[in-house]
Amino acid sequence: MNIKRHILLRVRVAFVLMFIFAVAIVAKIVIIQFVQGEAWKEKARKITYQYRPVKATRGNIYSDNGSLLATSLPFYKVAFDPTVPSKGTFDQGIDSLSIYLSKYFHEKSAAQYKNMMIDAREQNRRYLMVSRRLINYHVKKEVASWPIFREGRYGGGVIFERVDKRFQPFENLSKRTVGFINENERGAGLEYSFNDILSGQDGEAMFQKISGSNWKPVFDGTEIRTIDGDDIETTIDVNLQDVAETALEKALRGHEADFGLVVVMEVETGEIKAMSNLTRVGNGYRETYNYAVGSVMEPGSTIKLATALALMEETPLRLTDIIDTGDGSYKIYNSTVRDHHEGGWGKLSFKEAFEKSSNVAMVKLVDKHFGLDPNRFLSYLDKLHLTHSLNFQIMGGGVPKIPRPEQNGWSGITLPWMAHGYGLEVTPLHILTLFNAVANNGKMIRPIIVRSMGKADRVRQEYKAEVLEENICSRETLARIRQLLEGVVENGTASNVKGTHYRIAGKTGTAQLLKNGRYTNRYMTSFAGYFPAGNPKYSAIVVVRNPKGWRQYGSNVAAPVFKEIADNIYSRDLELHGSFVEEITDVPMGVFPVIQAGNREELSFICNELGVSNHTVDNEKWVKTKINGNAVQWHSKEVKPGIVPDVRGMTLRDAIYLLETAGMRISHRGIGRVEEQSVQPNAKVKKGELVILSLG
Amino acid sequence: MMERVKKWTDKNLQGDPIIWTVVLGLSIISILVVYSATGTLAFKKMANPESYLFKHSMLVLLGLFAMWVAHKLDYRYYSRISRLALWLSVPLLLYTFVAGVQLNDASRWLHLPFINQSFQPSDLASLALIMSLTSMLSKKQQNIESLKESLIPILIWCGMICGLIALTNFSSAILLFVTCLLIMFIGRVPVRYLTMLVFVGALAGAVAIAVGQRGTTVVSRIESFVNGKELPFQAEQARIAVATGGVIGKGPGKSNQRNILPHPYSDFVFAIIIEEYGITGGIVVVLLYFILLYRGMKAAYNSERAFGGLLSAGLSFALVLQAFINMGVVVGLGPVTGIPLPLISMGGTSMLFTGVSLGIILSVSRGDIDISLSDKKGIMRNMPKAA
Repeated sequence: MNIKRHILLRVRVAFVLMFIFAVAIVAKIVIIQFVQGEAWKEKARKITYQYRPVKATRGNIYSDNGSLLATSLPFYKVAFDPTVPSKGTFDQGIDSLSIYLSKYFHEKSAAQYKNMMIDAREQNRRYLMVSRRLINYHVKKEVASWPIFREGRYGGGVIFERVDKRFQPFENLSKRTVGFINENERGAGLEYSFNDILSGQDGEAMFQKISGSNWKPVFDGTEIRTIDGDDIETTIDVNLQDVAETALEKALRGHEADFGLVVVMEVETGEIKAMSNLTRVGNGYRETYNYAVGSVMEPGSTIKLATALALMEETPLRLTDIIDTGDGSYKIYNSTVRDHHEGGWGKLSFKEAFEKSSNVAMVKLVDKHFGLDPNRFLSYLDKLHLTHSLNFQIMGGGVPKIPRPEQNGWSGITLPWMAHGYGLEVTPLHILTLFNAVANNGKMIRPIIVRSMGKADRVRQEYKAEVLEENICSRETLARIRQLLEGVVENGTASNVKGTHYRIAGKTGTAQLLKNGRYTNRYMTSFAGYFPAGNPKYSAIVVVRNPKGWRQYGSNVAAPVFKEIADNIYSRDLELHGSFVEEITDVPMGVFPVIQAGNREELSFICNELGVSNHTVDNEKWVKTKINGNAVQWHSKEVKPGIVPDVRGMTLRDAIYLLETAGMRISHRGIGRVEEQSVQPNAKVKKGELVILSLG
Repeated sequence: MMERVKKWTDKNLQGDPIIWTVVLGLSIISILVVYSATGTLAFKKMANPESYLFKHSMLVLLGLFAMWVAHKLDYRYYSRISRLALWLSVPLLLYTFVAGVQLNDASRWLHLPFINQSFQPSDLASLALIMSLTSMLSKKQQNIESLKESLIPILIWCGMICGLIALTNFSSAILLFVTCLLIMFIGRVPVRYLTMLVFVGALAGAVAIAVGQRGTTVVSRIESFVNGKELPFQAEQARIAVATGGVIGKGPGKSNQRNILPHPYSDFVFAIIIEEYGITGGIVVVLLYFILLYRGMKAAYNSERAFGGLLSAGLSFALVLQAFINMGVVVGLGPVTGIPLPLISMGGTSMLFTGVSLGIILSVSRGDIDISLSDKKGIMRNMPKAA
């Protein structure tokens, strides 16, 4: 046969085959549409698919030394696809699996679990919720080792659905500073302010709706992978935070105050080392709002630092210049300004007037020098960054309210009143930034609380404190201001906090609170300052609102809190003790004194003396210790009549006291604390029984 | 106006005008359907939906341009070009297998530096193999029955290329192997050899499953097709798309299944066509491919040389077979594969090489262009003159 004709013949055969193929395709379409059509349409109606977001793992928030302040812990929901395991695996493992499930979850009997799984397998159901309970990672690992489940997702059909829960290991500690974020992306604190960094990028995957409102992932390969969030490292020092919070809470309780705050800042770096805001909730105090950053308030006398600075920069005023404060009241226009000292101080030097916080002196001076040009005074406040938002890293920073001459409501007394802290509102952080600048040789820096972001060891971005003002004033003025602030503690309103072996410098503030437009006899008390005065390392501000009782001033409410915190920091910060370093280098750092168990009051006393922060969880007399962060927590050791007490960890003295009180005899061997007791704790006491204690 | 259009096309678009028309028609359908189907993709990637429309239109134009370039060249040059391309594709395939960009578990893609595009070497290799195969077959027509002289070298090439492709893309390899069998059948290879080849191919396939990247996917897909117990997700969703399309469809851009079906713009684009344009649209597309096949065959009829005839027939069968297999998967005639619908699916490499192969078919339909070639001896020595 001719080659070409032969080829063409075969082409025709192939063509016919292709034609059959084409017809088959069309025929199959017809079958799908008209024969099976209804079934498919029904299926389309019944099953709903949806692209649903898959949450990325949220980044952690760390303290300055890497302790976790907030982290996401994975929890899991257990589900089961009973159609996955092979017949052999299923039949062999079903009985013991049912027993495990029943034992752990306690929701159904083993037989019920078994029936449920067998039914689901027969009905070809691909998803069976084993329990709604969330289990943690350790339990998950255990569950994954049970029969059938141990074959994994594709061999055993076990499905672990991950649910992340946010967890703050230090609980209430700096809770508001760490903040939160809810499902609507609203929140507060670092969690909210750094949400973009922490949250990462959610992925997306196809999910199929199953019974109820549960969704099961369909692994169809079109998922968008999640990108996990970055961690942020804060400047918060957990120890300092704890010290600050403990001191603040104690004071708030003592004074039954409405709320209070403490911010501690490292002078040179501008790093916030502690930030605590406690609000009265019922009988206790909790972190519910970040006043330090977010709320503007009349500062009261702490603003006199700015006033003094403006006066000394603008005029040749000297510390020794005499001002007549008269009988402690001074009429200006139709208002009267008063000093809080009954009868007045008469003639005072400028330094004394500042130390005693004389309102009359400030009003007179400011009215004399700035009365004709209030904007001149305001330009100093501008330069000290008291008039605009600080743009702090935590969002929601308060915007100061500063009256201006061109605005309505400006009057002759506006300026003099501003000079002693009324009629203008700034955040406590503004005041602290100003005091810190004085401590930092005139260099004003914007405080920071987040030092870096990144994942694990890879730092993606570092944040440095920004310099707001290289020099807030001249060298001479700065030196004088520091003299004034030291004077306040040495001779003035805060002399109750002097006498430390390091020196504190600062300024008290007591502002009357406005209610319905009238000043009341309730106060906002504050103290802002730094220490050690000679070579400042930390600055801090303490604000306590509305203390009750006879102590109502910045000097006797806020300043003691400042001192307690400063004492505590000083006792632990070895860098602050230049000359002692040699002698104490071989004391191992970060090791707690051997306190394991004993009488709470005694142990607490020892800890307080040594400057170890300690908390009480419950108010039992006998306690054992747990370490939470770098603080000691007391947990109760129950001592009940007729029950053998747990004396492990106690000194021999305490152990003998407790056991003999319970009516038992004791013998002991070894030296040290009780390691073992021969009669187990919580057993019934048999009178006169011998207990052998091994010490070690 | 019409006069001028005709004059322009006569001058610039030579060869079979019906092929040109069909390709243009399919291109328009492609742009419409892909635009609709990429809506979800654009949404997922937070991109402007028009960005995919633009990108895809550019690729369609690139394909048409490749077709135009290819049809300008005398088809007899392709014999030599194809052998060169074949040699080139071996290292490319190997390199892809070892170091290709990981996409969908299989490294089918080669990332081209400078122009920043992914490239699928298997498309190049397939085209090169088909062309070389027709070239070899045409030269061996006189003693096609001889196993040693004719068949062995052909089989070595087929086996090697299919095997290399199978490492990363099993369905493409099978498609290529079947296409080769079909071309050999047309090229007068005795049926008994072909039967034998099927067995050898099956054996090779089993080996590739064992060592390749796609082993588990292949096994599970075939298993689920044979068992028929429960359809894989994609197949089920494709079936729903087909069923809900009806006679005239839901209308352009009204597909629901595009949101659910994976890859609605490539492997399962035919499902979207039926959903939006109904069974009518589906039949039109099948017909268009069928016309393409018919015209390619016609070119083979008219070709004066065995090479031209085999080339045109081989390429048209390859193209249409791929199209039909893709459709067959969508409607459930075969297990799920990863084969795109030529000329319609989104995908740059596929567009480019489909364009080239259509251009070659057109070139054959134009007959001998370069007179100087006819006088030379060489590649045409064993060609039987047509009657």
